[in-house]
Amino acid sequence: MEMESLPNGNSAAAAAAVAAAAAAAAAVAPSSKLNQLAESLKLEHQFLRVPFEHFKKSIRANHRIVEKEMSAVISGVADAANADFSRDEAVHHLNSLVSRLQGLKRKLEEGSRTEHLQAQKCRARLDHLESADADNLSDWNNMRLKRILVDYMLRMSYYDTAMKLVESSNLQDLVDVEVFHEAKRVIDALQNKEVAPALAWCAENKSRLKKSKSKFEFQLRLQEFIELVRAENNLRAITYARKYLAPWGSTHMKELQRVMATLAFKSNTECATYKVLFEPKQWDYLVDQFKQEFCRLYGMTLEPLLNIYLQAGLSALKTPYCYQDDCTKEDPLSQDSFRKLALPLPYSKQHHSKLVCYITKELMDTENPPMVLPNGYVYSTKALEEMARKNNGQITCPRTGFVCNSSALVKAYIS
Amino acid sequence: MELGNIKDTFDRVAKKQKLSSSKSQEVIDQVGHEIENALAKLQGDPASPVDQKSILVELQTKLSIIGSQSQLEGSQKELNINLSKYTKLLEKSFNPDISKAYRNVDFDFHTVNQIIACHFYRQGLFDIGECLTNESGEPEDTALKSHFLEMFQILEAMKARDLEPALNWVSINREKLKQNGSNLELKLHRLQFVEILQKGGRADALNYARTYLAPFASLHMDEIQKLMACLLWAGRLDSSPYSELMVPSLWEKLAEELTRQFCSLMGQSYESPLSVAIAAGIEGLPTLLKLANVMAAKKQEWHAMKQLPVPVDLGREFQFHSIFVCPVSRDQGSEENPPMLMPCGHVLCKQSIMKLSKSSTRTFKCPYCPAESSVGQCMQLYF
Repeated sequence: MEMESLPNGNSAAAAAAVAAAAAAAAAVAPSSKLNQLAESLKLEHQFLRVPFEHFKKSIRANHRIVEKEMSAVISGVADAANADFSRDEAVHHLNSLVSRLQGLKRKLEEGSRTEHLQAQKCRARLDHLESADADNLSDWNNMRLKRILVDYMLRMSYYDTAMKLVESSNLQDLVDVEVFHEAKRVIDALQNKEVAPALAWCAENKSRLKKSKSKFEFQLRLQEFIELVRAENNLRAITYARKYLAPWGSTHMKELQRVMATLAFKSNTECATYKVLFEPKQWDYLVDQFKQEFCRLYGMTLEPLLNIYLQAGLSALKTPYCYQDDCTKEDPLSQDSFRKLALPLPYSKQHHSKLVCYITKELMDTENPPMVLPNGYVYSTKALEEMARKNNGQITCPRTGFVCNSSALVKAYIS
Repeated sequence: MELGNIKDTFDRVAKKQKLSSSKSQEVIDQVGHEIENALAKLQGDPASPVDQKSILVELQTKLSIIGSQSQLEGSQKELNINLSKYTKLLEKSFNPDISKAYRNVDFDFHTVNQIIACHFYRQGLFDIGECLTNESGEPEDTALKSHFLEMFQILEAMKARDLEPALNWVSINREKLKQNGSNLELKLHRLQFVEILQKGGRADALNYARTYLAPFASLHMDEIQKLMACLLWAGRLDSSPYSELMVPSLWEKLAEELTRQFCSLMGQSYESPLSVAIAAGIEGLPTLLKLANVMAAKKQEWHAMKQLPVPVDLGREFQFHSIFVCPVSRDQGSEENPPMLMPCGHVLCKQSIMKLSKSSTRTFKCPYCPAESSVGQCMQLYF
């Protein structure tokens, strides 16, 4: 079926032509699309790392349980051998050790099941990355967009929306809901001025935090100390400091001294150095610090993936023409919300001319060179040939109405 | 990046983990077994005397032998080695920190939330969009939502082979569709005609044609003639020369065209702008990360730049604007510095031409061919 009137720059018909061109381009150069796909897979570190860290954590926890229980049992036997037990006492003692071992076996079996599930999740993710190819590219990309959206919503604590999206698209294996829940527990507590879950988290991850020389636990202890001082529980504060702050003295003496000095002030002190320590903002710093430590441990980015990709995309798309009124609607930057986000971002740069025909929206390159009308307006050869064919060789500029013959067209050479 | 290699490395990790796990179970069983033995000896014959101390000491010795012989530590060590190997492999094969290119500018999450909600409406995920507006507390874009709701209702009906809503919409928007150069209405009537022919028979189809297809007769005579000829094959259209009017993909194509026209009339793009922006980001991020690395190494300022210093190559589908880059100065064309066509057909930006001519009257040579021209002979181009 043929199109009647001249399509203008914004018509959906031209958009259809663009889609056809894009599809043709995709079919003609599949290797470049596959190259791009391979490059984009390299961005998926978080995707593979998070379930793996989870897996490692379970393994470590199970190892620790085995070590602890086994050494308890063996020393239990040693104690019995050294003590002077009666027969009944010996039997009783050994029975308790047996039941302890049985408890350990049960825990290990459960731990094994968890580890197995986590290993499966790691494998499922590897399989998912491998499954991307030229045939299912648009579906795979759709899934990626959904994964990115779920990551955003979990970080923003929009849990219901996240779960709805996960369930509607079967993303369960491909997203890390439990990890974010784990973080939320600690963050909520910190926002409620409770350090207990945060300290428990530090205990769980002690060795790794130590390896990265993290002082997060120290900062939690400092805050608890300050809260004791705020409540004017000075004696308890000092006992607390002796037990929990002193061990950090060797590495963080200055900070320790500064906080200890709060003992000399009241919580409503006007002295600037110490006033800041009593402010509720300190709890916000703790939340930020926790998020950083948490993300680092799990191999996650601190920022939502959505923001990272969106910033990159907006900057790559941003040209001065996007902010003009006649910007084509197909450009995301024609929308106010996108324009707002892109304002502080740098413009994209081109080293070579890239020209788009106003009529067909196709690229004007050596296969479809630009032709110039006598009034200076430029359109693609294909568009003008089509126009001439339908109008007896007559060309009408769609933007100015200028009329000429197709013989008056001049080719422009643009590299 | 060899995914096969990564998978193999992970399989090795999983194997070592299972090994370590079974070793643990083995040792626990051995220890348990010895304790059970000792218990049996202690409880053996209630009448005869028993030296509990020596039994316990024997047990202790046996356990320490198990402890020293056990390969428990060894298997755990192996496992740990493989775990760290895999971690290193991941860090090597993938980019461990893609946030290096992120700029700490004001990225208003309210705007982002609204963008995401609109994206959900576009995809037909209305309940998820509503859930997001609720959880995020953002104001709802009711206008946009109701437009897309209408569109999806029409599309759902079409999926169920009901063309009524579509035909309604098309007749309401007849003028605008004509302006767009679309003959969607004719196509829909044609499809409806074929449907009626399949189900109702000749009489109904003829009636339908008289009412709805007649107005198109003047402009699309050949199509109408084809459809009239179909009447001859009522009930066995699939064996007629017009069998292509029955393929199911026709419905999908028409649904797509309706979506395009609907979005166009709404002043919206066909593709979700969020999808397009993210796709551009995925394509462009590797280049930006390399750039960020290079600039960090040279201690250059990443955050305050007005323009990216290198081009980020995106696919054709992301080219929305004509960008002219002068081959001589590498400046981008603008209002103040537009592209100028020289008589030889080559194009330079105005400033380059002014520089080459050094005055408005002298002629200059084109950098690309021996042709000479003067400033007056150059014409401003509008892409």
